Amino acid sequence: MPYTMQRTVEAPMNSEVLENLRLELRRGCLILAVLAELRTERYGYTLRKALAEQDLEIDEGTLYPLLRRLESQGLLVSEWREEDKRNKRFYSLSADGKQILKQLAAEWKSINASLEGIL
Amino acid sequence: MELELVERYLQAVSKALPKNHQEDITKELRDNILSQVEESEESLGRPLHEDEQVTLLKKLGSPTRLAMRYRNQEHMIGSTVFPIYWKILKLALGLAFLVQAAGSIAMAAAGKPFFESLAVLFNYPNVALSVFGWVTLAFAGLEFFGTKYKGSDRFDPRKLPPLEKAPSTGKSQFELIATLVTQIVFGVWWLAGLHSPYLIMGPGATVLNFGPVWHSIYPLFVILVLLEATRTALKLMRPDWGGQWMLTAVTGVLGIAVLYFLIMANEVFVPANPNSVQLQVLAKTLNSALHLGLMVAAVIRVITLIVAGAKLAGRKFGQAYQATVGM
Repeated sequence: MPYTMQRTVEAPMNSEVLENLRLELRRGCLILAVLAELRTERYGYTLRKALAEQDLEIDEGTLYPLLRRLESQGLLVSEWREEDKRNKRFYSLSADGKQILKQLAAEWKSINASLEGIL
Repeated sequence: MELELVERYLQAVSKALPKNHQEDITKELRDNILSQVEESEESLGRPLHEDEQVTLLKKLGSPTRLAMRYRNQEHMIGSTVFPIYWKILKLALGLAFLVQAAGSIAMAAAGKPFFESLAVLFNYPNVALSVFGWVTLAFAGLEFFGTKYKGSDRFDPRKLPPLEKAPSTGKSQFELIATLVTQIVFGVWWLAGLHSPYLIMGPGATVLNFGPVWHSIYPLFVILVLLEATRTALKLMRPDWGGQWMLTAVTGVLGIAVLYFLIMANEVFVPANPNSVQLQVLAKTLNSALHLGLMVAAVIRVITLIVAGAKLAGRKFGQAYQATVGM
C-alpha cells in the first residue's frame, strides 16, 4: 500500500520535471536553429514554417520575442518590406550573427560528439 | 468586418505592450495571424468561420500573456503569474488612491483644517509603497510555493473588448492622474474653505463672509467634488465604460441646482462686521452684481446641458438606426 501511494504521488511530479528539462534543452537548440535558418532572409511566419518542417515547432509567443532579443543583441538585422500586398518584417543574420553562428555550431557539434560517446 | 475578432485580439495585445513597441509588435503579429488565416482559407477554399477564428486565436494564448512574453519579467514574479499580478497591483494601487482621496474629502467636509485634510491624500506614496510590498510579497510567495501552479490560459476571444472607433484622442493617463489630483486638492481646499473663509478669500475674510446659503447647500458641494473625482477616476480605470454621460449629466444638473440656490438667496455674501454701514453697502452692491452674473451663468449652463443632451440623444438614435438597418 505505501508503495502504491508513492507511485501515484511521484508520477505527475516526474512528468513535470521531464517537461521542464525538455524545455530547457530545447531553448538553447532553438536559438541555434533560428540563427541557422536566418542565413536566408525570412519573415516570422515563413521562419516558423521552416522550423516546423524540420520538426522544431515554436509558438509565436516564443519566436517573436526571441527574434527581437537576438536583434537587440546585434545578431540579426531586420527591415520592413511589402510582399503580397502586406508589410512584412524580414530578418537575416548580421555580420556578428554569422560569426556567432559559426562558433555556436562548432560548440554544438563538439557537445553532440561528447554526448554521443556518453549516451 | 470579417476578421473583427482578430483586430479585437490585436487591440487587446497592443494595450498590454510597452507603449514604445506597441505599433511595431502589433504590425508583425497582425501579419503573422493574417498569413495563418490566408493559408487556412486557401486550403479550405472559403473564408474562416467565427469558430475557426476563435480556435486560431486561442492557440496564440490570452492577449495579456502573449504581450507579457515581450517583457523581461522572469525574476521574482514569473511570466505565468505576472499578468494576474500586474492587474491586481494596478487595481490595489488605484483603490488605495481612491480611499485616501475619499478620506481627505471627508475630513475637509467635516470641517478639519485644510492642510490636515490634505495630509491624508499626500500620505498616498507611503500607502502605495505598502500596497506594492504586500501584493508583491503575496505573489512572490505564490510563485515560490506554488511552483505546480500552471495558470490557466483559457480565454474567450468573443469576450474581448470591442474595437475602438479611432485612436483615442482623449487625455493621456498622466494628464488624467494630474487632473484627478488637482480636482481632489481643489475640492478639499473648497470644502475646507467654506468652513474657514480665510482660505478662500484671504485677507478679504475680514471684510466679507459667506452668506448662510453656502452652508445650506454644503452637501451639494461634497457630492459635486466626489462626482467629479469619480468621473476622472473612471476615465482612468475604465476608459471603455459607456456610462460617463450619466455622471456628466448628474454633475451638470447639480451645478445648475447650486446656481439656482445662490440666485434665490438674498445674500450670497454678508459683511464680516454687521454693524459697519460701509460694509453693508459693499455687500449689497456685490450681491446685486453677483445675482446678475449668476443668472447669466445659469442660462449658459442650461443651454449647454440641453445641447449636450440633444447631441447624445441624436448619437444614440443614430446607433440604434444603424443597428436596425444593419449598417
